[in-house]
Amino acid sequence: MPNKKLSIRIDGALVDAYEGQTILQAARAGGKYIPTLCDLEGITPVGGCRICMVEVEGIDRVMAACTSPVQEGMSVKTTTPRLTQHRRLTVELLLVERNHTCAVCVSNGHCELQTMATNLGVSTVRLAYNFPKLETDLSHPKYVLDHNRCILCTRCVRVCSELEGAHVWNLTSRGINTRLVADLNGKWGDSKGCTSCGKCVQACPTGALADKGRAVEEMVKQNDRISALAMRRGAEA
Amino acid sequence: MLTLQQPRLEAGDQEFVDQVITDRKGRPGALLGILEAVQERHPNKYLPMATLDYIAAKTGVPLSRVFSVATFYSLFNLKPQGDNTICICRGTACHTRGSRNLLQSARLSLGLGLDDISEEDKILLTTPDGRFTVRTVACFGQCALAPVVEVNHKIRGHVNERTLQREIETIERESE
Repeated sequence: MPNKKLSIRIDGALVDAYEGQTILQAARAGGKYIPTLCDLEGITPVGGCRICMVEVEGIDRVMAACTSPVQEGMSVKTTTPRLTQHRRLTVELLLVERNHTCAVCVSNGHCELQTMATNLGVSTVRLAYNFPKLETDLSHPKYVLDHNRCILCTRCVRVCSELEGAHVWNLTSRGINTRLVADLNGKWGDSKGCTSCGKCVQACPTGALADKGRAVEEMVKQNDRISALAMRRGAEA
Repeated sequence: MLTLQQPRLEAGDQEFVDQVITDRKGRPGALLGILEAVQERHPNKYLPMATLDYIAAKTGVPLSRVFSVATFYSLFNLKPQGDNTICICRGTACHTRGSRNLLQSARLSLGLGLDDISEEDKILLTTPDGRFTVRTVACFGQCALAPVVEVNHKIRGHVNERTLQREIETIERESE
């Protein structure tokens, strides 16, 4: 390993880390769990979902573990009442923003957002639901895009541009109006760039991107395949 | 490599866009400058889809990225703009000084109706004859003059419904 070895503390335990690693990478290598939603091993972290927030001793504000680099001697806390409160609120806000109706979702039982909510004990939300009127794009012959389930984690955007090189997906607009778009806001099925590889579908943490023809609870995602592919690409490069 | 069919624009437009792209080649953030220059040249100050398509093909920037940039910044318009622009501030200071009423009266007097877009949304409406565009902005930074309305890129402070009405009438008279 050419990078300098560092020593950091995660929840009090000494963990070996290497210069250039993020807190999340060091924690995973050291067997420590930090919850994440937008992160997917092998593709560039963006720090979008704010679930992986951790406390670093000496710094008042919480930091995103997936984008913050490790520093010699830093002491990280991954679970504190403040962080749990913060993560719960983040998940609640995600649930409120779109129409996450688990009971009729293809990903019911295999959904990362659902699992996250369960793990954090979010059984109800304290805010009013937004109930946006969103479309479902059924134009692709093999896959379905349901904006109602999208949490804008941009995994699909990154997978499509970094691994497949097609860059069909991106986000449009800002704030509450942000949506996932294919090409120039066209139908997914009309996209000339889309290779129908399905990487975005496998990378999606929720039921927003799914195989066509799946019934409720049938869509089991295999995003470990995406990570494995990313690793192989990384090793080749 | 896929060979996609090259989109085309009208001769004069294409020449201009090509020139703009060549001028900015290799500069970081070139796309923003390209979009801005191309929009500025259009008589209706907007970016038609065909133009976005062409810029993407010419610069090699993915279509979705071009669309993302063009919709992220409120500077860019994807719909034709009217000859005259009335931009009403919906910031907090202007809101408390009655900018909602200004917006409603402007929409009503230009025949734009009130019911098609929810109040929270960014509003951008153009009259069918293409003479007026009514839009909103989050804040002009002129809160001391609240409520603020920008009429054809000139800031008007302490606007009330009557003065706004007069502005509109003046423009209507002048453009006849």
